[in-house]
Amino acid sequence: MTRIFHYLVRRLTAGIFTMLVLIAVAFAIYWATPSQPALFVYQPPPHHFTDYQIQQANHFLGLDKPKLTQYVDYVWGLLHGSFGSNWDTASYAFKQHTTMQPLRPVLMQELGVTLSLLLGGALLVLLLSVPLGAFAGSRIGSLSDRTISLIALIGVCTHPMVIGLLLRSLVGGHLHWAPESGYCSFTPSPYGLCGGPVDWASHLALPWLTFALLFLALYTRMVRTSVSETLHEDYVRTARAKGAREFRVICRHVLPNASLRVMTMIGMEIGTTIGVCIFIETAYGLNGLAQAGLLAMVETQNLPTTLGVVTCVGLLVVVGGLLVDVLYAVVDPRAGNVTETRTKSLAGGVI
Amino acid sequence: MSLVAAIVFALILVCSVAGGPIAQAFLHHNGEQPFPYAVDWNQKPVGPMTRVYATPNPAVDRYDNLIAPPKGQRAKTLLVFGGDGPLGRDELIRVLDGGRASLEIAVGGMLIALLIGVPLGCVAGYFRGVWDAVVSRVTETIMAFPLMMFLVWASVRLDQYLTPISLSPALPRGIVADALLIGIFTSFYPARLIRAQLLPLRTAEFVEASQMVGASHWRILRRQLLPHLLPTLLVWGAIAVATNILLEVGLSFLGAGVQPQTPSWGSLLSTTWGTAFNPQTFNGQNFTPWQTIFPAVAILLAVVSLNQISEGMRRALEPWSQR
Repeated sequence: MTRIFHYLVRRLTAGIFTMLVLIAVAFAIYWATPSQPALFVYQPPPHHFTDYQIQQANHFLGLDKPKLTQYVDYVWGLLHGSFGSNWDTASYAFKQHTTMQPLRPVLMQELGVTLSLLLGGALLVLLLSVPLGAFAGSRIGSLSDRTISLIALIGVCTHPMVIGLLLRSLVGGHLHWAPESGYCSFTPSPYGLCGGPVDWASHLALPWLTFALLFLALYTRMVRTSVSETLHEDYVRTARAKGAREFRVICRHVLPNASLRVMTMIGMEIGTTIGVCIFIETAYGLNGLAQAGLLAMVETQNLPTTLGVVTCVGLLVVVGGLLVDVLYAVVDPRAGNVTETRTKSLAGGVI
Repeated sequence: MSLVAAIVFALILVCSVAGGPIAQAFLHHNGEQPFPYAVDWNQKPVGPMTRVYATPNPAVDRYDNLIAPPKGQRAKTLLVFGGDGPLGRDELIRVLDGGRASLEIAVGGMLIALLIGVPLGCVAGYFRGVWDAVVSRVTETIMAFPLMMFLVWASVRLDQYLTPISLSPALPRGIVADALLIGIFTSFYPARLIRAQLLPLRTAEFVEASQMVGASHWRILRRQLLPHLLPTLLVWGAIAVATNILLEVGLSFLGAGVQPQTPSWGSLLSTTWGTAFNPQTFNGQNFTPWQTIFPAVAILLAVVSLNQISEGMRRALEPWSQR
């Protein structure tokens, strides 16, 4: 137990360090690129900003403070659960001589979109890949095995944007089986707008499918390899000799072994999935974290949003990786440090 | 399976290097030449296997309607894959040329990643100590970063510094920049891989023996350890090329990367579907499936075959590895 504890402490310190560096890098990116923050304060923008206006805007947005102070302030705010202020409300607040709205509600809403996409997609991947992988793994080399592998391979080798846009235009636009785009909140909406679990799931059905198609290959292959290896073990023969049916042998004796590998894979793929979310959110017009981050980073150069997205994504990766490693250590005490030997066997997933 | 994949990939390689010039010689036009007669009044290009008037200057009546060219200029040319959009260029030649650009970016990115990653990994894995801590922390941080966002940011904001670095006339504008960006941002991967490989090897007996004989670190790394790393690097290289192809597509889709006038598989796809900041809504009337299908199939073939090649190499070179 102490070993796990030490390991946890080490990982936690490493995670905190990573987060601090990430935020610093995001700040550095912002400072390194030329931008005009006065655009947020003066809406509609004048033809030409005077020096006084720029100074006022910088003061209002808090950009005139020393850089180290800004960084420390931001981290201090984060520790108190604040993500800074929403620059999109800066113009109104400046006119009314009040303070800006906090960014946190907006960011949490976007995080909700991304998380529901991620979690639902991950669930669908598991639901599809475990039976498919078990089926293929128990009859390796057969026609069905090859077909499953090939279909999964095609899924991972096509760009998610292509899959997304094709599914959207064919299934959503032509056949009208599912809504084409947009997002509905999970909680019911009071004004008769779309909302509630049914609308939520139907709007996310195509994004989930896109997500699942992309990651199906990795997990199917892994379950398949694991099942085919485990089938030759002694305890599987014992189970068979005791008269267990094939279904029960696979479910109870073979598949639990595959769960370890699947867990490792989930741990190392969390970072990848965020990158994929950019494309899926873009293809289906979801207002998620990745989309917001991209816009804030490249188009509008909105500092708090950039920082917020980077922080959220970093937290997801760090905390997710940590959770998976701890789970792994609990489930399989034999394993030491698994992170060292991770290799990725398939292309795709777009980093 | 791997043999088939190798043949397919060799075909793709040949097609993208020599296919463009050969097709140009047979069809008597190149990928830059617009055909006004290959576009209908709705800006929709003609479909595959269409013969259109080859004249570059459209004949129009006084209401600016496109009419058949005068008698002397009625030679026709064949658009095998149809037109490529409002300009009506040859999709076939653009797909072939685009393959060249895409593969150049992918292979270049892989080589640059190796160039940066191998020394880093060697230093971290062989010398351990402070170097190892630094390299490990840096790679971990990069892995936690939303890499795609960073890539897009870099290729939009650093475009003005990077685009001038081009080996023209050998490579069109933007290709070296893309390869550099992709290479730099994926270099942490070989570094990690090599570090993990070197950790058990550095205390192996043959390394100890060379140290005892008095070989320098450089010599040990080069003569004793590098041969052990080669299989891993080969397998990784094939996968990296496949990933880089997809990365390039993603970059083009997000409005960064190669500019649309230079054909690459990604930019060909993004001419139909638009980019993240400027998406083109789906329009059944104007939808041209061939503009999606041909580049997508090319990408699919290349990536699938590369995956299979790497799988075959893994099986041949590292029979002990599981997946």
